[in-house]
Amino acid sequence: MSDFLASLREFVGNRGAPEPARDPVNQPMIRHWCDAMEDGNPLYTDPEAASRSVHGGVVAPPTMLNAWTMLGLIPRPTLPGNDQDPQSGALARLDAAGFTSVVATNSDHEYARYLRPGDHIAGTLELLDVSEEKQTALGTGHFVTTQTTYHDQHGEMVGAMRFVILKFKPGTGRGSASAGEGPPPPRPLRPRPGISSDSRFFWDGVQADELRIQQCTSCGTLHHPPVVRCPRCGSYELGYQVASGRGTVYSSVEVHHPQVPGFDYPVVVGLVELEEGTRLLTELVDIDPERVEIGMPVEVAFEEVEPARDGNPGWKLPLFRAARPARATETLGFEDVEVGAQLAPCPIPITTTRIVACAIASRDYQDVHHDRALAIQRGSPDIFMNILTSSGLSSRYITDWAGPEATLRNLSIRLGAPNYPGDCMTMYGEVTSKELQGGVGVVGVAFRGTNRLGHHVTGTTELVLPVAGGAGA
Amino acid sequence: MTMEFAGKTAISGIGATEFSKESGRSTLRLAVEACDAAIQDAGLQPADIDAIVTFTVDVNHEIDVARSLGIPELTHFSRIHHSGGAACGTIHQAAMAVHSGACKNVLVYRAFNERSEQRFGTGVQDRAANSDPMEVDFGWSSPFGLLTPASWVAMFAARYMHEYGATSEDFGRISVADRKHAANNPKAFFYEKPITLEEHQQSRWIVKPLHLLDCCQESDGGQALVVTSLDRARDGRHAPAVITSAAQGSGEDQQMMKSYYRSEITSIPEMGLCARQLWDDSGLCADDIDAAIFYDHFTPLVLPQLEEFGFCARGEAKDFVKDGNLELGGRLPINTNGGQLGEAYIHGMNGIAEGVRLIRGESTNQPEKSDRVLVTAGTAVPTSALLLSGDA
Repeated sequence: MSDFLASLREFVGNRGAPEPARDPVNQPMIRHWCDAMEDGNPLYTDPEAASRSVHGGVVAPPTMLNAWTMLGLIPRPTLPGNDQDPQSGALARLDAAGFTSVVATNSDHEYARYLRPGDHIAGTLELLDVSEEKQTALGTGHFVTTQTTYHDQHGEMVGAMRFVILKFKPGTGRGSASAGEGPPPPRPLRPRPGISSDSRFFWDGVQADELRIQQCTSCGTLHHPPVVRCPRCGSYELGYQVASGRGTVYSSVEVHHPQVPGFDYPVVVGLVELEEGTRLLTELVDIDPERVEIGMPVEVAFEEVEPARDGNPGWKLPLFRAARPARATETLGFEDVEVGAQLAPCPIPITTTRIVACAIASRDYQDVHHDRALAIQRGSPDIFMNILTSSGLSSRYITDWAGPEATLRNLSIRLGAPNYPGDCMTMYGEVTSKELQGGVGVVGVAFRGTNRLGHHVTGTTELVLPVAGGAGA
Repeated sequence: MTMEFAGKTAISGIGATEFSKESGRSTLRLAVEACDAAIQDAGLQPADIDAIVTFTVDVNHEIDVARSLGIPELTHFSRIHHSGGAACGTIHQAAMAVHSGACKNVLVYRAFNERSEQRFGTGVQDRAANSDPMEVDFGWSSPFGLLTPASWVAMFAARYMHEYGATSEDFGRISVADRKHAANNPKAFFYEKPITLEEHQQSRWIVKPLHLLDCCQESDGGQALVVTSLDRARDGRHAPAVITSAAQGSGEDQQMMKSYYRSEITSIPEMGLCARQLWDDSGLCADDIDAAIFYDHFTPLVLPQLEEFGFCARGEAKDFVKDGNLELGGRLPINTNGGQLGEAYIHGMNGIAEGVRLIRGESTNQPEKSDRVLVTAGTAVPTSALLLSGDA
């Protein structure tokens, strides 16, 4: 062991002083969080609905646990010489040695109870481990594992979090050396469609984020692909209707060979039956091919397959994704859940707005989550999603499936490929266990969120579901 | 009989080049060699030929073929559209031309270096994005990655599997039957190379649900036939293969390879239209057919062809193809030459030649009885079909 590592590990087992949250648990922060995460569970924001629930009143989303004690925009000064505090001890030494960048990799939440407005919690940080120096894709660094225990103002333990961060030296990652050699070569282009005066309305619509279906202005009949004369009524007066963009998969294939530049193989091509009744051929994106099923609800995503460059406008195509599953308004019963059951895939488009809104809603002011220029300066291609958002979106996915009163006991996640703007993360889940524990129905779910770079998040959770005739959650 | 040429015209000669992956010669040379052989097989001289019918997509000009063969004059020449859908359509056209009095002996050919020069399987990604109707048509599919014939057919296959519970193994049985027959045909590219259903299942994905062994080969070669009146055919070197009926068909809301916008996509209405004409015209039905050559560029579309011609009910082809029913000795031996999966992909024309051999009793997989043979042309396109019989 190097002397430096030994000096870091001196702090292992040390515990800092309880750090009180700046504010009590409060409705405005909860509402901001729910807006940013698009979490519609009424038990977080609707006092009337919440009063009739197992909680008896409004509760905070459980994954907000560590958001309450985040430092905020103006960080607390480190306390020199406080060797009991891992924050000012080991982490400060890592900073001093040049390991100034930080990225979170694991978050394991335990929830003793859901927090309510008015709770005022404090977190106590303990250093569990500092790894040997590792070369990672991001850079050379040390993984630092901490445990934070949360108590309310009455001293009741309300939850705990085991957290792993990578402290690394900026500019030492595998992608760093080439980052200075200019942008990557432009992606090969897909074939462009032939367009005639009869079909131009469709492609113009796509560029304006509209899915247009040709419609006879005389008899109203829809036609796709377009005709030049309505075969039903004989009219040459043809306009269009703007489609809702929703439909179902009528048939689909998985193209493996031959591989043509411009596409990522296997390519899933779907024949989509639109709500309006006509069909459209399209690519089904952001979905595991094996999860595509005939009849699956899908919705359009206007994807810029040729970015605007050098004054040329970009080029969009109407691609389709799985439709976001409807949020369950009734909570699943313990008896209704079967081990091995698959949760419907849920795509979550990753935008700059979502990353920034969720970072701020979780009180995470790390520049890499909101400042593109600084993120690039630190060797990242763009800003990226913070780990609290990954937790928050994971819990949203689980409770949107299980229902508003499904109560999380814990949520463990591990992060992989970053979520950058312009990507889409699709959540998948499967019921892995089901057990009655002292009359309480506990269901285990394994889940993951996959983007175009790989698995962004993999995790597990245990949730309590009501048992028929029992005390429920 | 509503079709006046039916029963009064015949195929009197067949001729082909070898079938290979690299012919080493020009497509014109292949066309002329095949035609030369067909004319000799018919017992004619080039000067006896007075008409030529071929595919629109064939690159060899009729006049160049005629020049090299020494055919002095042509009184009829025409071409049939829609790629492999043209196959039996050429015979239909030739029979009509003969019966009308426009000509006496029609030479029909198709020749290409489809493997060594112009591979169809590589797809259409390099086409110009202009306003030609064909490019506008490709515009609805190519930008989304649906670029190859295999992918266009796979879309029908996936829906067919969903609606009728057919499996990849059911498709595989077509391939196994074809390769079994090819294994016994010295002219077949896959001579002495049968496959098992397990090998079919283990072959790699091309476009799921299509495995490699669901897709026909790509071939170099030429095939020619001679069509004439039944009376003249009786003077030939071989017993005539009587054109009992022939028909073309294009269905409602027909598209090229991608008729995805119809109320349902698991049947083949244009083939059903051909079937209706053949049966109505001849008074025959599926039970009267001893052997069939089904167009098999991809295995899945053989199943709905069986249904369209009434060999089984809609959705039940998956049961009909079991138990060796399609193999020699079964209820309906198909593709006794090995089909396009086993013998060669000559756009269906080698299948018509095999139909003639079955009538002559000269197939290398000759069934006990083959008095009436059905031959079909390309599926998923406007198509055609042919009923051949012995000269009673």
